[in-house]
Amino acid sequence: MSSGYKPDILWSPHHADRYVICDTELSLYRIGPAGSSETKAGALPLSEETAATLLAINSDTPYMKCVAWYPKHEPECLLAVGQANGRVVLTSLGQSHNSKCKELVGKEFVPKHARQCNTLAWNPVDSNWLAAGLDKHRADFSVLIWDISSKFSPEAVPAEKVRLSGDVDSGLVVTKPLYELGQNDACLSLCWLPRDHQKLLLAGMHRNLAIFDLRNTSQKTFVNTKAIQGVTVDPHFQDRVASFFEGQVAIWDLRKFEKPVFTLTEQPKPLTKVAWCPTRMGLLATLTRDSNIIRLYDMQHTPMPFGDEVEPTIIERSVQPCSESIISSFAWHPSAQNRMVVVSPNRVMNDFTVFERISLAWSSTTALMWACGRHLYECAEDAGQGVAATEKDIATKMRERAQSHYGHDTVQVWRNHVLAGGDDPQLRSLWYTLHYILHCSQYTENVEQKQQSNKQSLIYSGIKNIVKSSSGTTETRRCWSGSDRQTDVPRYHSEERSLALQLCGWIGRGPDIDVEPFLKSLEQEGEWERAAAVALFNLDIRRAIQILNKGASAEKGDLNLNVVAMALSGYTDEKNSLWREMCSSLRLQLKKPYLCIMFAFLTSEPGAYDAVLYESRVAVRDRVAFACMFLNDAQLPRYIDKLTNEMKEAGNLEGILLTGLTKDGVDLMESYVDRTGDVQTASFCMLKGSPGEVLKDPRVQCWIENYRNLLDAWRFWHKRAEFDIHRSKLDPSSKPLPQVFVSCNFCGKSISYSCSAMPHQGRGFSQYGVSGSPTKSKVTSCPGCRKPLPRCALCLMNMGTPVSSCPGTGKANEKADLTRDKKLAQFNNWFTWCHNCRHGGHAGHMLSWFRDHSECPVSACTCKCMQLDTTGNLVPSDSV
Amino acid sequence: MFVARSIAADHKDLIHDVSYDFHGRRMATCSSDQSMKVWDKGGNAEWNCTASWKTHSGSVWRVTWAHPEFGQVLASCSFDRTAIVWEEIVGESNDKQRGQSHWIKRTTLVDSRTSVTDVKFAPKHMGLMLTTCSADGVVRIYEAPDVMNLSQWSLQHEISSKLSCSCISWNPSSSRAHAPMIAVGSDDSNVTYGGKVQIYEYNEVTRKYAKAETLMTVTDAVHDIAFAPNLGRSFHVLAIATKDVRIFKLVPLRKDSSSSAPTKFEVQVLAQFDSHNSQVWRVSWNITSTLLASSGDDGCVRLWKANYMDNWKCTGILKGDGSPVSGQPGALSGILGSATAQIIAQKH
Repeated sequence: MSSGYKPDILWSPHHADRYVICDTELSLYRIGPAGSSETKAGALPLSEETAATLLAINSDTPYMKCVAWYPKHEPECLLAVGQANGRVVLTSLGQSHNSKCKELVGKEFVPKHARQCNTLAWNPVDSNWLAAGLDKHRADFSVLIWDISSKFSPEAVPAEKVRLSGDVDSGLVVTKPLYELGQNDACLSLCWLPRDHQKLLLAGMHRNLAIFDLRNTSQKTFVNTKAIQGVTVDPHFQDRVASFFEGQVAIWDLRKFEKPVFTLTEQPKPLTKVAWCPTRMGLLATLTRDSNIIRLYDMQHTPMPFGDEVEPTIIERSVQPCSESIISSFAWHPSAQNRMVVVSPNRVMNDFTVFERISLAWSSTTALMWACGRHLYECAEDAGQGVAATEKDIATKMRERAQSHYGHDTVQVWRNHVLAGGDDPQLRSLWYTLHYILHCSQYTENVEQKQQSNKQSLIYSGIKNIVKSSSGTTETRRCWSGSDRQTDVPRYHSEERSLALQLCGWIGRGPDIDVEPFLKSLEQEGEWERAAAVALFNLDIRRAIQILNKGASAEKGDLNLNVVAMALSGYTDEKNSLWREMCSSLRLQLKKPYLCIMFAFLTSEPGAYDAVLYESRVAVRDRVAFACMFLNDAQLPRYIDKLTNEMKEAGNLEGILLTGLTKDGVDLMESYVDRTGDVQTASFCMLKGSPGEVLKDPRVQCWIENYRNLLDAWRFWHKRAEFDIHRSKLDPSSKPLPQVFVSCNFCGKSISYSCSAMPHQGRGFSQYGVSGSPTKSKVTSCPGCRKPLPRCALCLMNMGTPVSSCPGTGKANEKADLTRDKKLAQFNNWFTWCHNCRHGGHAGHMLSWFRDHSECPVSACTCKCMQLDTTGNLVPSDSV
Repeated sequence: MFVARSIAADHKDLIHDVSYDFHGRRMATCSSDQSMKVWDKGGNAEWNCTASWKTHSGSVWRVTWAHPEFGQVLASCSFDRTAIVWEEIVGESNDKQRGQSHWIKRTTLVDSRTSVTDVKFAPKHMGLMLTTCSADGVVRIYEAPDVMNLSQWSLQHEISSKLSCSCISWNPSSSRAHAPMIAVGSDDSNVTYGGKVQIYEYNEVTRKYAKAETLMTVTDAVHDIAFAPNLGRSFHVLAIATKDVRIFKLVPLRKDSSSSAPTKFEVQVLAQFDSHNSQVWRVSWNITSTLLASSGDDGCVRLWKANYMDNWKCTGILKGDGSPVSGQPGALSGILGSATAQIIAQKH
């Protein structure tokens, strides 16, 4: 056998778990779940879940050209093998004790002239009939239909028989076929027509497809075509046939056999196998030579019969069942949906299922729905705890933050970062910045009145602008506290610089420039290194050492801090001292950034503090405060500008300290939103801007609109309403006008008291019965003409009459929540009506009526008031 | 932590599309069995089918919801060359008590000569507008001038893309800085026809849609396309399902507003993944456009997420039947934690 012979694969027609691989021999495999006790250790893995076990090998029939599995249940493992010399041999796999099988196995059907057998097909109904298609031999017939039950003919000529295989009993040789067809031609492929088992479709060498009827073999319908290398009938549409030639597949309708209905796009390489999927309508799989791809053509949407005017829609797909390796052959599983086994030239097998196209959609609440075949799956986000916050999606974070009232703490503004989860350093920095800004501005408002409105707006414009406006800087050389040695470190002061320090949070508001409260708060939070660094920058080594000692002795303290304190205590300003030399080299090994910058500061030349200023692990606010103290008027704006641009580029919220709530700040926030999509933080941050100028920026408006839209989509309507209230405090233009007026039937004027008094400031609802000002006329009448208001359809009182709190259904005792009940009682007085039938009454009465009814309470009105609105049935998801 | 569960869909043939409404409380499915179903989420988070009806005389390809401010409105498109607008009507019968709702056909759009392959409503701020695209390469934009009367739709624009269209996506940005924009994908598999994704932009001056961009690097058949929710970002992100998952970033270059030329874009490829092996069928963004889901020929649903550096990577894989992919680091649960995904069959 030539090594180039490629294995083919064949499923058992009756055992869904068995198939045969045929190349030089026949090997029967059973497929089973991988790793189960059933499959032995020697099982070949076919996929992640399945493995195949070799059951039997049959190498009795060499020179195999084609194989066909006997279609009947019994005998089960009978196969017909067509050989290179044209003989057809019956053989079996595995031990079958069936007597009928024994009788048949080994039977040979020999043509008159030896030539290659190309194809075999069992008749689907009369299973004794086996059709064999042979190569051409002069004027001989190329299609022989054998009856396997026929007695072997004694007149068989043994001399003519070329003995190719071992010891075939010559007594089992049959030489007389039942029918002979296709004279003077070759047969490349054939199949029985399932619609009529007497009919046979042949693909012949003479470029034609022909249908023979065995009842009258002289008659045939045929059509000329090149596509004759293989024919196969669609098991789902028995009139649909696919045939192929080289790289082209033609689809035929047997009822309109004149020309192909359509041809599929041509493949560059010749096709080797074309097969209809037995489990799925209109799915054709094709394989080309030396390819690792199986191409699938989905003709589901091609109507049969094909209308002339309708173009067929064929969805082409390609699958790669075993990644890069070449496929020799494949076979559809007879019953499992869209499943096939593929085999490679070196007999590596693969179990593979062709998936239907999956369509999918995300819901607004981060649930994923997908449809696979006829099934739906939903993958909902589980509000599980213990999930690392950094891995959460921003949509989830925003939902959680909205629920914890993030952004709404207007008194202790910094606390908003805690509401946001307290684990994001950027948000923390942002909210502290906003806190200090609001703090300072309130202070200047109170203390200095309006004289310095200039300063007021300066606070909002960020340190970048504050520093630029700086004038009258003074330079001091202070002593290290606790020592009388003069330092050569110049420190700069100006009003603007102290304002900047206030915004950084280092010093409190007002004239007081003591850094001690800040150190205390840092100590409280356990930020020892940071506190020590701040103390040191304020030239208080003693305090710094004290802080470090405290940190070392604190609970869970780092004992290394004592060592650092020790190193610190040895500080000398001697230029060439060993201390200096060691510190400047060893500080680079310090893991903690604040410790690192402490020594960087001590070992730097005055004015050359790059090691401190560009240590990116140190909070921006500390670096800026440091710069405001130690950089001169020339250096400072340059540094701040550089840092600002860096922050803007990165969308780092720490930079809001520098930009303030200005256009620069909006630019920075824009790159933050671009990066994260966190419109929530962007909206709340910009709403803190006092002059409200930034609110006019279209980008800010866009973030606010997007955030409101998100809240709406999540049905966080209460949160959205709260947000709107919050927003309208800063941006009165966002307040909506009154939405609904009710006019009196008699005078046509609005019947709302509040509306008539203040036409444009009502809350949009007409509320009755509770606006009990004694000077006004009776609440049950129109304020314009004093005519009584309509009556409630249920209690028949005029509207405006306070309704009794008992809803009348006797369910009052069930209600446990009294405060909530009271709140609702006020609402009970409201006048409601159906917009369709325009009947109505007190809200409480209507509600209790519609709890048990669907029709309007007014007699003879059949309006189904309660079912008219779908949106109204949706409940907000943020109500308790 | 994601948990997958199956829902008894009870469609008689392949389901081609699923679509959530604005609030995620309702869902619509459509199928080759020519029918559509509407599902409502019950109090116990279970989906109940509240309507199921035969819609078209061919496979129904896509279904989509209008924004709820226009009412409960669905649109579907089909192989039968039509698109249909449906509206839920209430109060006419006692259906509601039986948990059933009633959908009626408001209009049938019959302008296409071929299969209508996609249907999408325009973003809400543009009013009630509906877009269809069809296999003959025409994109049609309809408008309901009176949102109270959904039986009247006028064909406002016809854009000929010259290539068989398979999918459309509106840019959802409501920013005034961004003109209305629609991306059209073609499933024509002939790579020599050039770019398979075209982007059209509305021009205020000419009052027409004009081609603003063709993504020339996408030459293979495109099966789905999705603009990411903009959420106030200064650029647009477009996901494309072709032979791989591709994510494009379109940065509008500043232009003077008076010019009538279409916006120019700086086009960047943010990501390109071929882990679906061959064809990618669908892509879908979550509400903040921080998660992308895709499905492909490997029979898996994959989730993609970007880190802060805009590096996209796969954060989850789930097989089409909901089972976890064994041996995969960070299966679907990987997005949010370490729990394994599991299947809970929902019995009805």
